[in-house]
Amino acid sequence: MEFGGAIREAKKGTAELVVLAFLEAEPRHGYELTQLIEERSGGALTFNFASLYATLYKLEERKWIQGRWVEKSGQRRRRYYKITATGREVLASQRKEWRQFFELIGDLAGVRYA
Amino acid sequence: MRDRELREWRVLVRARADAEWRALSSEVIDELACHLADQYAAARRGGASDAEARGVAQQLLNAASFLELSKRPRARIGGGYGHDLKVAVRQLRATPIVTIVAVLSLALGIGANTAIFSLVDSLLLRALPVKDPERLAVLGDTTIPANDQSWTYAIWQQLHERRARFDNVFAWSQWRFNLSERGETEFADGILASAGMFDTLRVEPVLGRGFTEADDVRGGGSDGPAAVISYSFWQRRYGGAADALGRRLTLNGVPFTIIGVLPPGFFGTDVGRRIEVAVPVGTEPLLRGRQSMLDERRAWWLSVMFRLKPGQTFDQATALLRSEQPQIREATLPPAGADDARRDFLKAAFVVAPAANGTSSLRERYRRPLTTILVVVGLVLLIACLNIANLLLARATVRRHEMSVRAALGASGWRIARQLLIESLVLSISGAALGLLLAQWGSRVLVQQLSTRTNTVFLDLSLDWRILAFTAGVTVATTLLFGIAPAFRTARVAPIEAIRELGRGMIGSRRLTLAGTLVATQVALSMVLLVAAMLFVRTFANLASRPIGFDRNGVLLVNVDLRRAPEPAEQRRELGDRIVEAVRTLPGVKSASASALSPIGNMSWNGAFQVVGAPPQTGRQRLAYRNALAPGWFATYGTALVSGRDFEPADRAGSAAVAIVNQAFARRFLDGKSPIGRTLRIENSSESPLEVVGVVENAVYRSLRDDPPPTVYTPMAQTIDDPFAQLIVSVRTAGGAPALLTRSVAAAINGVHPDLALTFRPLADQVNAAMTQERVVAMLSGFFGVLALLLAGLGLYGVTAYAVSQRRAEIGVRMALGAAPAGVMRLVLRRVGVLVLLGVLAGVGLSWWASRFVSTLLFALEPRDPVTLAGAALTLGLIGALAGWIPAYRATRIDPAEVLREG
Repeated sequence: MEFGGAIREAKKGTAELVVLAFLEAEPRHGYELTQLIEERSGGALTFNFASLYATLYKLEERKWIQGRWVEKSGQRRRRYYKITATGREVLASQRKEWRQFFELIGDLAGVRYA
Repeated sequence: MRDRELREWRVLVRARADAEWRALSSEVIDELACHLADQYAAARRGGASDAEARGVAQQLLNAASFLELSKRPRARIGGGYGHDLKVAVRQLRATPIVTIVAVLSLALGIGANTAIFSLVDSLLLRALPVKDPERLAVLGDTTIPANDQSWTYAIWQQLHERRARFDNVFAWSQWRFNLSERGETEFADGILASAGMFDTLRVEPVLGRGFTEADDVRGGGSDGPAAVISYSFWQRRYGGAADALGRRLTLNGVPFTIIGVLPPGFFGTDVGRRIEVAVPVGTEPLLRGRQSMLDERRAWWLSVMFRLKPGQTFDQATALLRSEQPQIREATLPPAGADDARRDFLKAAFVVAPAANGTSSLRERYRRPLTTILVVVGLVLLIACLNIANLLLARATVRRHEMSVRAALGASGWRIARQLLIESLVLSISGAALGLLLAQWGSRVLVQQLSTRTNTVFLDLSLDWRILAFTAGVTVATTLLFGIAPAFRTARVAPIEAIRELGRGMIGSRRLTLAGTLVATQVALSMVLLVAAMLFVRTFANLASRPIGFDRNGVLLVNVDLRRAPEPAEQRRELGDRIVEAVRTLPGVKSASASALSPIGNMSWNGAFQVVGAPPQTGRQRLAYRNALAPGWFATYGTALVSGRDFEPADRAGSAAVAIVNQAFARRFLDGKSPIGRTLRIENSSESPLEVVGVVENAVYRSLRDDPPPTVYTPMAQTIDDPFAQLIVSVRTAGGAPALLTRSVAAAINGVHPDLALTFRPLADQVNAAMTQERVVAMLSGFFGVLALLLAGLGLYGVTAYAVSQRRAEIGVRMALGAAPAGVMRLVLRRVGVLVLLGVLAGVGLSWWASRFVSTLLFALEPRDPVTLAGAALTLGLIGALAGWIPAYRATRIDPAEVLREG
């Protein structure tokens, strides 16, 4: 699926939200995140691999997530990111904002939001 | 887990960050590498080939922008030089083989240059390590340069009286002191010097005092003869003990008292030699006994050095002495009778010459050989540079993509060139550092090679600003030489090539032209070095194998010093007979005899002869060398008696005076007619006329290079004049090594007389020492010639292998179309052949031109010797064939199918 210009612009702001959302359930490492995002979006959403990490570091700096090197037996040492309490709050409030935003757009532009 | 995978990605990520001039923390690099490794592994699991999986991950990396990942651009401290340096080191470590080859060849090249230069520096350039050396001067005259001139004691006394005209003045003469009290000798180099030495040279003893005018009187001062020793002698012999002062030191059997220790680093005024002991000139009669030269107005043995007054010029000093020359001449004329000597005495005008560098007998002898070798090692370094330039060019081509990314990211051409030049600088500084170590070792080994048993060469090889500046200059020059072409070739790369993968063929072929030129130049320079090496090695071989008129092997020479034997001259002759008799009967001795001099020794003796009834000779043509022999000398040396007879015990004082001459004498004095029975007169001598009783074959006398000179031998028993006060006993062994006889011969001679000083030396050693210069030059040029050959071979191999790799596709297509391996081989070898041919032709021209500079160093060989030129060309051709054959053979093994698949 290809998005037009408008959505592409909007996508930039959504990166943080998507990352936080995927970390809500359990800690994950960077590669896992890209795979998940690609899978769940059916390939519609892909991250440039360098900018994914740029986003992760930004979130970490804001203390919304926390990264930690973990070595599981038989596996390569990887950095796992876990959402923090602050992160959860931010996610919740952003979810709320986005929902309100989509409802508004739906009303204004005549887009039905299921 | 496969950590190798992770490491590889780490390197790639880091290179990518470098290309963007971005600093990434190692954590970030680890994480990105981990991601890429996971990506690769996933692709593999999905069924991709290794190359495909790698491609997927690589694409991810290529598309990445590190702008957001690094908080800051690469630190650019000092305009980014620090960063450039780090990148350079990383790049060099990434290609260890290229780096090691480059650093080693540079180390060898720079090391050789520094080693030879430090010899040039200490022998030719360095000032004496004394205060204000530029005010020192030596005395010569208009016919003989000051460095070689010597004066009589009488003249020295006249100069000494006039010392107030200058700051100061002193006279000296080199001397080898025998330290042992009896039996086998142990020598120390030193000088006899007048008391003014310490003040003239401004040398302050570190312990005790120097000798004064009171010490420098005939037979030694009131406290007995005094000696000053060098710092190293003090350390070595006395362990640096303070109570060395006042101790007794036996010199040539005479007890001296040590009164002072010279400062460390002071080696005297003769460069190439180190003073270990210095005694006053006035003690000469003690050391030389009856042969004292203090009152001998025909004995020229003292050098004279002045220190000029501040502001006094050399011309003023010369004028001053010339104005007093008539008085000095009048006061020092030799006694009546020596008419020639009186006529020529002090005819030539005095010259006061600068002596800041001291005097040196080695200097003139080694000036040309050293300069030649300096050129040789310079060429070797040039060849090494060309090699490295080629290696770097090849690498630069590989890194073209990286550089174009940098260019695309806005790096200027200069910035890229600078990065590459810094890499070159890192290479040459590493090479220089290693080379400096090599040079320290090499120059010491070289100096040892220059030393012979009787002549210990000492050169101050400590690092000085001149050597360091030379090495630094060479380092910068080499960096520019091998770095600049690759740097600017690469810097010109267009950013667009980052995207385009085309144009490889174009760049490749341009590189090949440049590389080909470099390699052909290498071949030409190697040719020059090879020709030089062959010339010098053949010179040495010619000298070593030339017939010398006797068999040098299996003879032990024993120098018996008779100066201090208490017996009068007549009894000493009888003593000689007894010594020879005692030695001859020893086990292991085949024969023994005695003589006044030994061939190729450091002394010579000549006389002016006329053959009665033959056309008289004039000028120098009258001169023939002399030696005095005991019976059996020719048999011991293996010199053939051509006609007549050898000396016999019956040829003694009182019987008819006889002589034996060599063939060269007969040729010059008698046009080759038989001299047997003819009478020889000796000019300016009280000796009676000699009857020639035998003719022997020619033998070398003083020099191996000269043709054997006319020589007259007389029986020792009849020779009235005994100018040397020494006896050379020559012992031919029955088969063993001559040195093995030392102990038994020493014991036998001590049995005859217990107080004689003995010096042993195999004859072969003495003869071969005369070839030291040729041996060292042959050894060095041979070594560097082979090295140059090796480097040229490497260069040829490298450029051919690269050309083959560039033309893989073409060769594959040719083979697919049916080209035979032989045809492919011809294709590759033709290129090598052209390069070698061009190089050899240029090399022949260069050698032809350069040969005139070395002609004086050669022996029995034309500098443009065609055999040598052909030999060198052939050798280079063979090396070229070998260097080309390996890649050519590889080319024939190319699998067309594989190449076409790749294409």
